Amino acid sequence: MLTLKNASKTYGNNKKAVDQLNLEIEKGEIIGFIGPNGAGKTTTIRMITGIIAPTEGTIEINGKDIAKQPVEAKKNFTFVPDHPTIFDAIKGIDYLNFIADMHEVTIQQRKERIEKYTKAFQIYDALPQTINSYSHGMKQKLLISGALLPNPNLFILDEPMVGLDPHSAKILKDVMREHCEKGGTVFFSSHVLEVVENLCDRVAIIHRGKLIACDTAENIKKNSSATLEEIFLEMTKDE
Amino acid sequence: MNKFLSLTKILVLDFFSKYTQQLNVKNKYLTILVMFLPALLIFPAAQMVLELYNTFLTLGFPELTITYMYIANTILMIFASIPFIISVFFYSKDLQLIATLPVKEATIVFSKLASVYIYLLIISCFFFGTSVVLYSTVGGLKLSSLNVGIIALIISPLLPMIISAIIILPFMSVIGSGKRRNLMVVVGNMLLLVAIIVMQMLSSRIQLRPEELNTILLQEDGLLMMVGRRFPPSIWLTKMIQGSIFHGFLFIGLNVVLVLILKACAKILYSKALMKFNQEGAPVQGGKIYYKSRNKGLQMIKRHIKIIVSNPIFLINTVLTIFLPILMFIIILFTGEFQAELFKSTALEPYHVYIFSAIITTPAIIGSLSSTAITREGKTFWETKVLPVSDRDNIKYRIYTTLIIQLVASLILGIMTLLTIPVNVQTVLIAAVFCITSTLFFSNIDIVINIEKPLLNWSTPTAAVKNNLNILLALLLRLIVGVFGYGLYKLIDHWEANIVILIFSGLFIMLYFISIWIVYGIYKDKFIDIVP
Ligand SMILES: Nc1ncnc2c1ncn2[C@@H]1O[C@H](COP(=O)(O)OP(=O)(O)O)[C@@H](O)[C@H]1O
Ligand SMILES: [Mg+2]
Repeated sequence: MLTLKNASKTYGNNKKAVDQLNLEIEKGEIIGFIGPNGAGKTTTIRMITGIIAPTEGTIEINGKDIAKQPVEAKKNFTFVPDHPTIFDAIKGIDYLNFIADMHEVTIQQRKERIEKYTKAFQIYDALPQTINSYSHGMKQKLLISGALLPNPNLFILDEPMVGLDPHSAKILKDVMREHCEKGGTVFFSSHVLEVVENLCDRVAIIHRGKLIACDTAENIKKNSSATLEEIFLEMTKDE
Repeated sequence: MNKFLSLTKILVLDFFSKYTQQLNVKNKYLTILVMFLPALLIFPAAQMVLELYNTFLTLGFPELTITYMYIANTILMIFASIPFIISVFFYSKDLQLIATLPVKEATIVFSKLASVYIYLLIISCFFFGTSVVLYSTVGGLKLSSLNVGIIALIISPLLPMIISAIIILPFMSVIGSGKRRNLMVVVGNMLLLVAIIVMQMLSSRIQLRPEELNTILLQEDGLLMMVGRRFPPSIWLTKMIQGSIFHGFLFIGLNVVLVLILKACAKILYSKALMKFNQEGAPVQGGKIYYKSRNKGLQMIKRHIKIIVSNPIFLINTVLTIFLPILMFIIILFTGEFQAELFKSTALEPYHVYIFSAIITTPAIIGSLSSTAITREGKTFWETKVLPVSDRDNIKYRIYTTLIIQLVASLILGIMTLLTIPVNVQTVLIAAVFCITSTLFFSNIDIVINIEKPLLNWSTPTAAVKNNLNILLALLLRLIVGVFGYGLYKLIDHWEANIVILIFSGLFIMLYFISIWIVYGIYKDKFIDIVP
């Protein structure tokens, strides 16, 4: 579903934020992408989603190269960024209709899904209000609802648990699970190890732009009695 | 460092970094060159001042150059500072942080005004500054006049700035409360600007009979008193530069008093206007939940239009750049300085097509909307990038948005002009062709400027749409096109006006096709590379 081949990104200041990253994600998986602050998680996700172009390497989503066939590739995924900065002078419902139009969601489906997700996240009643009156968490839940609206093949989230209350975080986890059970794929970054360990089929660990592990939590832990947290801390330790 | 100085330093740096932010540091010379681009405006300004100086010199009162330029400068600064003050005080994102700092209200108010001051001082250098330099150097150096003049120059932004601040801050808190706040802010400020223009027009009309002029010329300061009677500080200033200590005391004293007044009001302005406005938040609008599908392109264009409309500063700026020249035209017409009859004379008829074309093309020439189309989105620019819309379309809809707004503005101007200058159908059609072709070209090519310098991290909306390099580069482009156009016109000016306009339209069509190739052929890749 998602293939990264030697993906690298060097920013203007000659800093290699992501270095030769190779990753293969299968259909129906939930992958947790973890790493310390500044490891390159957001950079990787921005490359996958076409927000920035990789300096080197290729990225394919459902067999479509994001650089060569951007529109075809972008039809396959939706994205929730780490910070809900969206154009907020419109109403919540305007935003959802906008996203639905862009992804060509039928009227019947958008009605069904908007009701389902926004009611679950308890923002349904706020939809007729302008987004700039929403709290941070509400904005994030609106973005998540919008991203789920097209029922994407690949659902990409950057630090989705940050800023959500426990109730909403639980709903999000359920939604992510459900999405996989229906055959969708979920790729999300996090630094909350517990969430990753409980939820994900596989865990990818990135450190200083390099992928240092990608396996099931059990396999990563296999050779030691340590917890995932201890292993994570050990692996990403600064010499 | 002193709290006031360090706060001011941060705010000013933040504001002016917009000019230099996206410049490529490796190109050091280019950076310097571009930085001084606006300085080129000094030439037309100096030329104008020199002409004024010579006129007054023949009358025997060269010092009136200073009086005139000071008055003009003050009016210009009041205009320039109103949208600026609103943006810095009411729509800047840093207030949340600044409000939590342990500093006095007056410190906040003054440090916020510092960037306004510097901006106004730059304007002042062009007009008032050149007049001071010319007055004290042409025909022998008058060193004391030059020194005093420079002091006056440094003081000159204070008066218009403080007056604007004292009018604007309470005004905003009144119109800014309640429903439809942003709309009120836009309408309120447009009315305020119109009111200032009208007052200016009415007060500057000097109707004299020849015999009165003679008696005035006989008195030593007669002309100065007459020119400055509506605005005494201009008289004080002139006499101060001529060496009168008493008048210098008056002029400087007035500015000191204004600063003290502002200082005394700072606390009230801060708590009653600034905090009140910023705390009220946007009104929550009710409405229904709907499910409706629209065309992708329409949705994108709607988004871009809404970005302008929902931000009062973007809206005021757009409306002003497009309509202000015309607004002034209408006001001049109604205050009688200018006779509509003039246009009806047959002598002018061959030039109708030029005049009409020029008027309806002002939106494309003055409002370089495309050069800030990406910048206006700011940090939300990523949104359309992750959607299944091709990069070509993504650029295209921005250009279409500019086209729609500018052509609508041209249409409105066209109708308004037709009501005052009756022209025939042929002229209208030819002018329309010219307007459409030039608008197509400029709306396309301007986006190149924005792709080259995306400036997505702005903190005040004026920095996004007004005080940045993109606008200057867009103006430079028009200047270059204008110079070439004028050269060409000189070659063919004996031809019939309609033919000339059609030739220019043809050239614009060609330029348009070239610009399409540049935008989608070369700049699409650069668009993809923009890092939000
Ligand atoms: N726009 C940018 N320009 C330059 N460097 C950047 C930019 N964005 C991120 N970086 C750098 O790239 C590295 C990776 O950042 P990021 O991908 O945001 O990390 P994470 O999301 O894992 O915390 C960091 O060292 C950061 O400083
Ligand atoms: Mg991150």
